[in-house]
Amino acid sequence: MNTTHFIGVFDSKNDLLTGIEGAKSKNFTIDEIYTPYPVIEAIETLGRKSKFTTAAFIYGAVAVVGVLSFLYWTSVISWPIDYGGKPTNAFPSFIIITLVLTILTVTILSLFTFSFRARIYPGKKYFLPDERATDDKFIILFKKNTAGAEFDVISKVLKAYGASEVYEKEF
Amino acid sequence: MYKAEIRGPLILGNKDYRQITSDIIAPIDNKTPNWWKAAMTVSSIMAVVGILTMAYTVRYGIGTWGVNNSVAWGWEIINFVWWIGIGHAGTAFSIFLLILRQKWRTSINRAAEAMTVFAVGCAAVFPAIHMGRVWLAFFIFPYPNTRGPLWVNFNSPLFWDFIAISAYLLISASFWYFGMVPDFASIRDRAKTKLKKGIYGFLSFGWTGSTKEWMRYEGLSYVLGGIAAVLVVSVHSIVSTDFASSVVPGWHTTLFPPYFVVGAIFSGFAMVMTLMIIIRKYYHLEDYVTDSHLNAIAKILVFISLIMGTAYTTEVFIAWYSGNPYEMFTFFHNRITGDYTFMFWAMIICNAIIPQVMWSKKVRSNITALFIISLIINVGMWYERFNIVITSLSKDYLPSAWTTYSPTWIEVGIFIGTLGIFASGVLTFFRFLPMIAISEVKSVLKPTEIIEKH
Repeated sequence: MNTTHFIGVFDSKNDLLTGIEGAKSKNFTIDEIYTPYPVIEAIETLGRKSKFTTAAFIYGAVAVVGVLSFLYWTSVISWPIDYGGKPTNAFPSFIIITLVLTILTVTILSLFTFSFRARIYPGKKYFLPDERATDDKFIILFKKNTAGAEFDVISKVLKAYGASEVYEKEF
Repeated sequence: MYKAEIRGPLILGNKDYRQITSDIIAPIDNKTPNWWKAAMTVSSIMAVVGILTMAYTVRYGIGTWGVNNSVAWGWEIINFVWWIGIGHAGTAFSIFLLILRQKWRTSINRAAEAMTVFAVGCAAVFPAIHMGRVWLAFFIFPYPNTRGPLWVNFNSPLFWDFIAISAYLLISASFWYFGMVPDFASIRDRAKTKLKKGIYGFLSFGWTGSTKEWMRYEGLSYVLGGIAAVLVVSVHSIVSTDFASSVVPGWHTTLFPPYFVVGAIFSGFAMVMTLMIIIRKYYHLEDYVTDSHLNAIAKILVFISLIMGTAYTTEVFIAWYSGNPYEMFTFFHNRITGDYTFMFWAMIICNAIIPQVMWSKKVRSNITALFIISLIINVGMWYERFNIVITSLSKDYLPSAWTTYSPTWIEVGIFIGTLGIFASGVLTFFRFLPMIAISEVKSVLKPTEIIEKH
């Protein structure tokens, strides 16, 4: 079922930030913000926090332990080779390959995490409330049910706080 | 210090956001220019030459090359190291400057990353065909197999190299591609034809520019950037370890890892300069790739050139200071003088002497001069790899095993082929993909505009 949305359009980052301030001061609930480039303040406004780096650290830690265990298994247990009497558990010579394999693992898992969490993958059916958001406009989206005010009120406030355009759309 | 207010405007011409999108996607929207068609024809022919000579090698074996028992590594390894070096700077450029919050990178990083991907792809060709029986390349993968529970040698720098390059190719390609996703969305949303909307829509992976996406996008950029920075240093250190872990005179030196890493960045930055000058000139993007961008690259090049000069001098000094007769012979009678004198001095002149002219501001603001110097540096860096690979192998401990090496037309053909593949790749990138990171350039627009208005 389609829901009615209110869309505030801003021409610049500064206008957008002013608009966010306005919406916050009147206790409107913003559903989402669309911008042509990353705007940290907008991300913070919506209280979004990424745990991406923590995830990457965990991947790295697991990879280090995994690779070192694997190397130990191949070199000491599965098929020990005597290189002129050198110890089979040649830890220092494992370090570089561990580093590189860890990087490879973190890269692959981070890409999957990004794709999964941000829902970015080939062939995805997307919906963009206003196509200008990937070009030159900054968009604030409100859901009618949760916005906290009627269209006229929101429109008036956003325009007072720098919006170049405010309109209703059903999708 | 890194803020645009001090550096001056990063983007000229009082652009607005819409204008930026239009300017950057213009080459994709416009008709294919004639110069592009001519360049693509030439590079495709070169690529075909490469493919044919590679096929010849696979059919008849590496006996078709000029390599012999002493000089077992010929042009293939020179070219491999050369391409890897060029590939390095792309990532070094975008990642080191990303981590250092250098905003001037935004106009250049995309092309530098594209260059990396194509160069690393070209580099990967050489170790593969050097195996001789390339269809058995999968032997190098560590997996339990029918040959018994025999593992690859995890202690071998050659194996490290294989993994490091695979990781590097993956990470630089994904860094490049995911960087383009928001720009594909911009092209998609401005596309006028259904076909274009469909193609770029598919490439954009459903990007909308919401805060959810941007937040994770930033997270991914910094994670990939952080680990790739380590990889940039480690990959070329490992390539150098292939040499340094041997006992060949001129190779077993602890100087090699930093010397290789810096050399790689040197040649890659030079290639970035070459490409940026071409982009600027032929696509009229002077407002984005400004004189000050080229000036900044030139300053980095002149500094790295000094490091290269120091490294060359250190090598020679240590050869003399160690008193090792084999080292002395290699450097004083087989490089500075001897059969390969030309290669040695070409390296010194191209890499350590000529770039010094860029101390002059006049030279740094002369685009033609910069273009020529960037080409000279890449030629010089090729000679450097020739010096390292060939001279040491041709005359080592046993005079009875001394030999000279010259490439056959097959080896030359393969090199020409990789140049063609690289050029075709770069030209395809120029024509169909956003050459400059649209969203990143937009993010640095406002501060620069303010300066211009003052």
